[in-house]
Amino acid sequence: MQFEETLKRIQTHKGVIGTIVVNAEGKTTLDNSTTVQYAGLLHQLTMKARSTVRDIDPQNDLTFLRIRSKKHEIMVAPDKEYLLIVIQNPSE
Amino acid sequence: MSTTRAKPKKPTLKVTPSSRVMNVSTSGVLRVNHSSTYARSINASVSRKSFSLAADSKILDKSSVQTPKHTVQVFDENGKDVTPQPLYQPDPAAVMSKHSKIFASDTSGGTMSDFYSTAYQTTTNASFAGPFTRSVFGSSTVSRGSQSTMESMNEEIEDPSSKRDISISLSDVQVRREEVKELIKEEMLDDVVDRYLIESETLWLLHMPAVSVSVDSEEAESVKERNNLYMELCKNRMGNDKYVERSMQTFNGAPKTKDVQSEAITMVDAATTATTWDMYDSFRSAGLGEAALSPDTDKASVPEIVSNHRLDPTRAPERTMSVISTTSIASASSSRIEMEPFVVPSEDEPDPELVLQSEKFQQDLFVMERIILENIYQPKLAAYRQLPTLEDPDSVPKVVPTVVSRREESSLDEESTLTPALERLWSFSCELTSGHNVSSMAWNKRNPDLLAVGYGQFDFKDQKSGLICCWSLKNPTWPERVFTCESGVTTLDFSASNASQLAVGMHDGSIATYNVESREKTPVIDSSDCAHKHTSPVWQVRWIDHERGASGEDKGETLISVSADGRISKWFLRKGLDCIDKEKKSEALISRQAPGLCFDFHPTDSNIYLAGTEEGHIHKCSCSYNEQFLETYIAHKGPLYRITWSPFCSDVFLSCSSDWTIQLWRQDLFTPVLGFTSTQSAVYDVMWSPKWATVFGAVNEGRVEIWDLGASILDPTIVSLASPGVKLTSLLFATETDCILVGDSDGQVCVYQLKNLTVGEGTQVAALEDIIGSTLASQL
Repeated sequence: MQFEETLKRIQTHKGVIGTIVVNAEGKTTLDNSTTVQYAGLLHQLTMKARSTVRDIDPQNDLTFLRIRSKKHEIMVAPDKEYLLIVIQNPSE
Repeated sequence: MSTTRAKPKKPTLKVTPSSRVMNVSTSGVLRVNHSSTYARSINASVSRKSFSLAADSKILDKSSVQTPKHTVQVFDENGKDVTPQPLYQPDPAAVMSKHSKIFASDTSGGTMSDFYSTAYQTTTNASFAGPFTRSVFGSSTVSRGSQSTMESMNEEIEDPSSKRDISISLSDVQVRREEVKELIKEEMLDDVVDRYLIESETLWLLHMPAVSVSVDSEEAESVKERNNLYMELCKNRMGNDKYVERSMQTFNGAPKTKDVQSEAITMVDAATTATTWDMYDSFRSAGLGEAALSPDTDKASVPEIVSNHRLDPTRAPERTMSVISTTSIASASSSRIEMEPFVVPSEDEPDPELVLQSEKFQQDLFVMERIILENIYQPKLAAYRQLPTLEDPDSVPKVVPTVVSRREESSLDEESTLTPALERLWSFSCELTSGHNVSSMAWNKRNPDLLAVGYGQFDFKDQKSGLICCWSLKNPTWPERVFTCESGVTTLDFSASNASQLAVGMHDGSIATYNVESREKTPVIDSSDCAHKHTSPVWQVRWIDHERGASGEDKGETLISVSADGRISKWFLRKGLDCIDKEKKSEALISRQAPGLCFDFHPTDSNIYLAGTEEGHIHKCSCSYNEQFLETYIAHKGPLYRITWSPFCSDVFLSCSSDWTIQLWRQDLFTPVLGFTSTQSAVYDVMWSPKWATVFGAVNEGRVEIWDLGASILDPTIVSLASPGVKLTSLLFATETDCILVGDSDGQVCVYQLKNLTVGEGTQVAALEDIIGSTLASQL
């Protein structure tokens, strides 16, 4: 399937530590505690971010969220039904 | 004793200020209770009323004589007649004995023993309601109270007429009141009516007797005395015979415990945040719900539409319905609409599989991939765009140990770093393309970040299926579009007028155009059905924009191709009936037998073009002159692989061939002005730099060469070797940056940046002309 190829390609890129696809409740890939943590925390953060964006202008919407930290970069593509999370270490 | 005149027996009634009773309804009889002993208490008067109740009732029953009313006259201390005027004049004829009987019967039940209880009851009731009530009970008690004067039982009763009148008075009052109203209506409204405001009497609403008395007041002495008496009494109580302790047992009602159990009151905390976007969403969904319905019906009013659709779709439009009902339904249904947006969140969760396959997810993946790659390739891409590269602040510590050594080296290399060099940025390649030979590359005319690469073998042997990949600069690891063709792709070109149209020429002689915007894998049109299609490999296709159409054909862009069967053909695209492009080809422009390998149209004059053949000849031809060449340039000894006009000097063109040489020509001279040889391998591709007139690049089998004629006409300025085992096959300059793309036989397209190429200011056109001029001069 189309998305599987793309997903696999993403996982093989340089520096990518993990990819998580989360639906509104549970997880679809990588079942371990870190994944659970990421999914839950990022879910809340995207809700807050989306609320912020839309409070300023209700016709606007959040499309992408990037968190750059010392060690990694966390990229979140939010949607109503799912969350696509990729963690990358770009400075390798 | 006549029953009529009860009044004369009594002492003169005096209206004293200390005891006033408001009589709301009288029958002309005003009895003021002289309550001297019970000062300040209307209660007492009321109690007296009750006392006399029974007495009155008994006496009432006996009386049945009607007596005329007698008037009461009240005089105050000064002898003034302050008789209150009657509020109404009861009709003596209208006597209703029944009423009085009823009242009497009501009270006949009261016996002496009940006096106390009734007294207390009436006490409480009348004290509050007495002065004001017009009610039956109130007025009756008051009136009766007024009638009772003495505690003695032998008091003569009121004349029954008055009693009856009182009972009648109730109904009469109401009648009179209505009459009064009617009178007013009949009067002229313009009359000036005088109103006098008089201070009314004080109305006692509640009287709570004080428990304590001020020391200074008059009664203080008597109160003190009484208190002292009481205290002495209390002291003397013990042992006094006057007081006997006695107990009494009362019946205690058996207490009964009653439990009531109710359901536990569940408390639910409900909270909501009204954010701006939340409200916006709700309004939008509600508005959309109504907007969607309106096109379905042709009614004017929205509520009707709403009602018809929401309540019963099959109901016929009921315009006869009253407006009120429709609006009420509308309000109900609109509230239902309001409800609906809030139902949406409770839908069941979509299947995860469906989620993954949705468009949005793919889009997100696409974006995500690009962002990841941007992270990886950011320095390279920045160099490509000639932007300063951002140093990752967190990665500096890692570099520290090596920096020291680098610094030492850099001082030595300072001079060497200034030499022109090619810096490899990245390469477009993926596993799909590995093993394929890059045959041609072309930039998109509208989006300079989009690159189309054609893969196909040059040789006739080991032909694989061809491949076209559209690469985007943002993703060097995977092409945006992949098209597979039956035979190897030898050439391609993007159209300028229709930026998404890509023309492809193939090894089997067919030409196809693809639409790169769509995701379809098939070409838009194909020349395989055409009768005049090429029979040999098409070596070059190009979109040419004709300024003036030749022989009545439309202006615009046409596709020109050259093929090994010796024809240069012009292809037309016309729309068919069912909107499928059909191809029509005009007659060939060249009919020589020599197989053509390349061509190039003059940059300014689109009528003139050069064609290179396999024999090594260069022919200058004109579109309007099909039969003959205009000129022929002969210098090369082998098949020409590329001819290209200089974009700056319109007389100059370059040609390269497999005889290891590159020749620089001027179109009026039949011998090349300059020839360049550097290695002993066939030069596959040559291209002028779009930025400098004196710079061009060439690709031969093993290396990439950048020639700067201003620097040296004998040696290439930059030479970059290819990886061993890989042949470099094509070259493309990037239009806006100092980068070149080199395609090789392994399917890789490497992007190099030209560094430190100091050519000088401007496009160096003059320099080129100088070089040519000086060369010519030296040749002579």
